[in-house]
This record gives sequence, structure tokens and C-alpha cells, in this order.
Amino acid sequence: MSKLGNIPVNAQDGKKRTNPLAGVFDELVQFCQSRSMFMLHYCTGCGAIELPPAMTSRFDMERLGIQPMVTPRQADILLVTGYVSVKTLKRVILTYEQMQSPKYVIGICSCTVNGGMYWQSYATAKVLNEYLPVDVYIAGCMPRPEAVIEGMRRLMRNIEDGKGNAWKDYFQRYDYYLGNQQHLFGNDWQTPTDIIGEARHYGLESEETYGEHTKILEQHQQPLEPYKMRIKL
Amino acid sequence: MKCDEINAWLDALLSEINEIEVTRKSERRVRVDVPASSLPALLELLKGKASYVHLSAISCVDWPDDEEFELVYHCWSYEAKSLLSAHTRIPRNSSEEFAHYVSVYDIYKPAAFFERDIYEMFGVYFESSPYMEKFILTEWNGPPPMRKDFNAEAYVNDTFSWADYHPQWLQDIEEEGGGIAIRPEDIRL
Repeated sequence: MSKLGNIPVNAQDGKKRTNPLAGVFDELVQFCQSRSMFMLHYCTGCGAIELPPAMTSRFDMERLGIQPMVTPRQADILLVTGYVSVKTLKRVILTYEQMQSPKYVIGICSCTVNGGMYWQSYATAKVLNEYLPVDVYIAGCMPRPEAVIEGMRRLMRNIEDGKGNAWKDYFQRYDYYLGNQQHLFGNDWQTPTDIIGEARHYGLESEETYGEHTKILEQHQQPLEPYKMRIKL
Repeated sequence: MKCDEINAWLDALLSEINEIEVTRKSERRVRVDVPASSLPALLELLKGKASYVHLSAISCVDWPDDEEFELVYHCWSYEAKSLLSAHTRIPRNSSEEFAHYVSVYDIYKPAAFFERDIYEMFGVYFESSPYMEKFILTEWNGPPPMRKDFNAEAYVNDTFSWADYHPQWLQDIEEEGGGIAIRPEDIRL
């Protein structure tokens, strides 16, 4: 998987391949991925109230293969369900960076799109996709469970068609996202995840991975050390 | 009735303090306007002699035209089942960084939380309050945001950018059968 960026993901670009079986495996993987989605719902705002009906027996998201997951390390979708305050945004980014690729972000409610009814608030971040690559926005204040499920199905279609590649954007344009994060959190902002190292590992680094903001990060970066296990008596 | 007895006792008690204005709004609701110098003494009396043992909140009101902050101490009595709000006004000190007032932590322990919150949101420093560190706005380095002279809209426009609006998106959704249209039979008047 070290050269994930070089694997042609879009198999339906109309060009005839020399090996007719070349795209089959990709399509199979995409099909399976889109049918088995574990979502981490980061319930920040009021939109979370629409998720229990969407998940439980009335609308039943599990019939589409979407299930809740309790830990970011095993989740595919990060569901941000409402306004994100600046303080919460730090935690959202930490959570997002812990997830394994491929990972998808869905922003629910108007607040994640453009601040919503908190547009005037000094404490909430307005446009979520400045800080994280968002795959699908579900607008509404709040969207009904039908709309949530429709958004999920849109994401499933995107993955099946090979268009759900926003997570690669985070590696490829890390400098842009990091710059927006530093604008809010200050120049000494650092996450425990080594994004540049991961980008190198996946083979997803591009020219825009590095820039002035990653230079600032290098200046302030504390070396990452494993957390010492201690038993407190 | 016990409640009446306490109310009568309270009125007698309050009439003994100078420069105080008592407005009884209803049987269970008293408003007391008190100068800033005698507010701790009033709270001491209320707690010790009139059964107002619970400080349920301290609120702060900014009056920029009068150059004053208004502090409201809400005290609840379980025996009289009544709420007393003690209003006091302190100078706003817009030239200095903080307005100052004295903490009532030694009378009511929960005051520590409320004072810390007011210090963060309005910049009123309470002397001798035990812990005045940042409380909720740990990421915030600007001026106290709930003061009237803090222009939140200008701050937002300076700090954040906005998403562009594309009417085409709505048309795309409507073509797929979604959108915000309500069928005539679904309209409820």
C-alpha cells in the first residue's frame, strides 16, 4: 500500500484498458468499502439529535451498512453534527488525524457549512472544509433523518465511483489546512500525528504538502515520544 | 405560616441596613439594591440570619453608557422558598484593564465558579477569589468577549472567511427530487 497515490482509483474514465481485469479488483474494493462504513459521530451540536432515529429501527441506517463505531482508529466516517467551536475544532482535528485512511468527513447542519445561526459568534469556526477535507455536506437546520441517509448514500455512490478522495487532499495540500489551523490556534499548534510522514508513507506528498506553514511547524515542533505507561498507586 | 414569618423577619432585617432599597416583587421574589460597599455585609446577614443559604448564581450586566457593571447575586432560601436578588453597581474602569470588586467566596463557596466565569467574560477581577484562571475560553486571548464594547461581528469578519454561495447546488438537488419544496397537501395552517 505504500504507493497508494499511483493506484488508478477512477476506473470509469472511458479509456479502454489493455488488461480487462485491471479495473475489476479496484471496483470490487470500492464496492465493498462503500457497503461497510463505520462512522464516528462527533456530536458537537444539535444535529446529533437526528442520528438516533436515523440509526435505530425507524429509518435504520444499518441496512445500508452504516454502523456507529466507538473509536476513531476503527472508523471510516467522521460525522461532525453541528457547530464547531474553536476549542472543539482542535479535538475534531486530533480525532480526524487518528483515523486510518481511507477516511471520510461528513458535515451535518448549516453550522458546519457557513457558521449557521452562529455566524456572528466569536467562538465558533465557520467553514469546516478550511480545516478538514469534507466529502459531503448535509445542509439544513437540522436535516431530517431522510436527508442524513441521502447524504450517506451520496457518499457511498462517490466511493463506489472512485470520487471519495477528499482524504488524499489532506495529505496533498497539508500546508493549506495547516495554515488555516495555525491562524486559529497560534503558531505553536502541533498534533501528535506526523502528517508529513504519513503523506510520504502513502506516496501522496505533492508540492503543496510543504510550504511556509509547515516550516513554522518544524520550528515549533516538539519531538514525539511514546507515552510512558505508569501505574499510579 | 412559616413563609410569612420569615418574610416579615427579612423585611425587619433589611430595614436596619442603610442606603438600601428593597422592592418586594411578589411573595417569593425580592429585589434589593445595595451600594457596593455594603453588599458583603448584606450577604453575610442573609446567610446567617435569614436562611438564604444557597447562592444560585452571580450575573453581570454591562452598562457602557453609565460606565458601570451591575452585579446580581441570586440567593435562594429553602425555608422561605423565595429568591432574593441583590443588585449592586461597580465602576467599569474602561481606562484600566480590569474592574475590581471583592469576592464573596468566604461567605458562599460556589461563588468561586461564578466569579471565575465573570472574570473571563467581563473582565471583572474579584479580589481574594481562590482561582481566577481561564475557565471555558481556554483558547481565547482577546478582550473579554461579553463586554458591550467588544464587537463580535467585526472580530468574526477579521478572523474567519465565508463559504461561497452557489445557487446551482439547490437546483441540482431539486432536479434529483430533493430540496425544500413542500407538497400542497403537506402544508399545515
